[in-house]
Amino acid sequence: MNDSRLALTWRLMAFAFILPLLLIIAVDITLSAGVQNFDTDVSFTRFANATLTGYTLLSFVLLGNLFFYGESRNRPLAPLAGMLCASLLGIAATVFLIGQGPLLLEDNGSVQAQAIYNVVHTLVTAGAVVLATTVSLGATFSAVTSQKRRIHFEVEEE
Amino acid sequence: MDEMLLAFLLFWLPVAVVPLGGWIYLSSSDERSKSYGRLLAFIGLVLVCISPWTVPSSPSTAAGHLLGAIIGPAMLIVIGIYLVSFSGHVPVGRLSRGDRRLGVVMSIFGIAWFAGMHWWILTPQMSKGDVNSYWFVFWPAFLLLTSCLSSFSGIALLTIGDGRKAESNMMFTLSGAAFILLFLGLNFDGTLVSSEDFRRHLWLSVADLAGLAVGSILSIIVFALVIFVYEKTLPSPSSIQAPTDVELQRVADIITPHLGGGEE
Repeated sequence: MNDSRLALTWRLMAFAFILPLLLIIAVDITLSAGVQNFDTDVSFTRFANATLTGYTLLSFVLLGNLFFYGESRNRPLAPLAGMLCASLLGIAATVFLIGQGPLLLEDNGSVQAQAIYNVVHTLVTAGAVVLATTVSLGATFSAVTSQKRRIHFEVEEE
Repeated sequence: MDEMLLAFLLFWLPVAVVPLGGWIYLSSSDERSKSYGRLLAFIGLVLVCISPWTVPSSPSTAAGHLLGAIIGPAMLIVIGIYLVSFSGHVPVGRLSRGDRRLGVVMSIFGIAWFAGMHWWILTPQMSKGDVNSYWFVFWPAFLLLTSCLSSFSGIALLTIGDGRKAESNMMFTLSGAAFILLFLGLNFDGTLVSSEDFRRHLWLSVADLAGLAVGSILSIIVFALVIFVYEKTLPSPSSIQAPTDVELQRVADIITPHLGGGEE
């Protein structure tokens, strides 16, 4: 596949990915002359909290991964310390930004309550992501295996 | 006992134990450790699911309640897809036609169960009439992402795959089905969930998914940078001497009898 065709393929796949969302927005705009029940401030707060929590949680998962990476390298401490710093930076940024006031604080009374809520919320979203990915990948595999078997190479007669 | 300590012992510790058990199960080579990992993950899962009753004072346990509510339909769908996949044209371990029919029924029943949780009386409730708030996080995110990923997969099969039009159409059908459920949720009230609530939470789930993606990408970039910086600080390995003429001759002597072919 040449470069221009590959770029086109990627663009098509990216468009296909966001197509359902674009369709919902288009239908909403057509039927109600605008996107209903969309609150920019609340959505931004949710986006920022999800970004910080997603970063921090995945950093800790990758820190665990780095432990195994070190197994083949005589367990160097430098990358582990580096990733630990990056993970702690995520926690510090979360606590600092939530503590700044209503920008990242949702319906929770304290920084601690908001941070715990963020973790649980992210775990639930991650569960939805895992199930949706499993369903889509599994359905793709089912679709491929349900078709008739193809013969890619003809057996040469002696 | 202090409420925070109780929540730690009966909710957060089991939450941590589930992946730990999974990790022990996947990374162990002997059967005893595998069984131990499996048992640990199972106990953690059960404790998380019953946490709304063991730690009723903690609002986080609503996630455990949701897990208990969705694990049934989710497992039906996953096992159903597994049965359908492996009863098709797979080279090894092919299941029977009966398993295929069972898989289809299980998947449809799982989806119907989920739909019943939105439009019928099966909605996860913390108390009578009080819908579990995490249901509004899970359901729109699941539907939206399933529709997006299936659409992506359909185009990928069509553009990258060779002659995969039928398979691609099946993925577009799945994407369309998830989209129709989204559309119905946006326009028709359920017994306990209104279309207004669903609509509001759909936009929030878009923010959630986008935030999770951005945060994950940032984390992966930092991870790659840490490894890159560390590898760059390592001294380059010392070069060995080029082979001498005698060594080259010795290699040639070993290789020569093995060159050629066609003679038995």
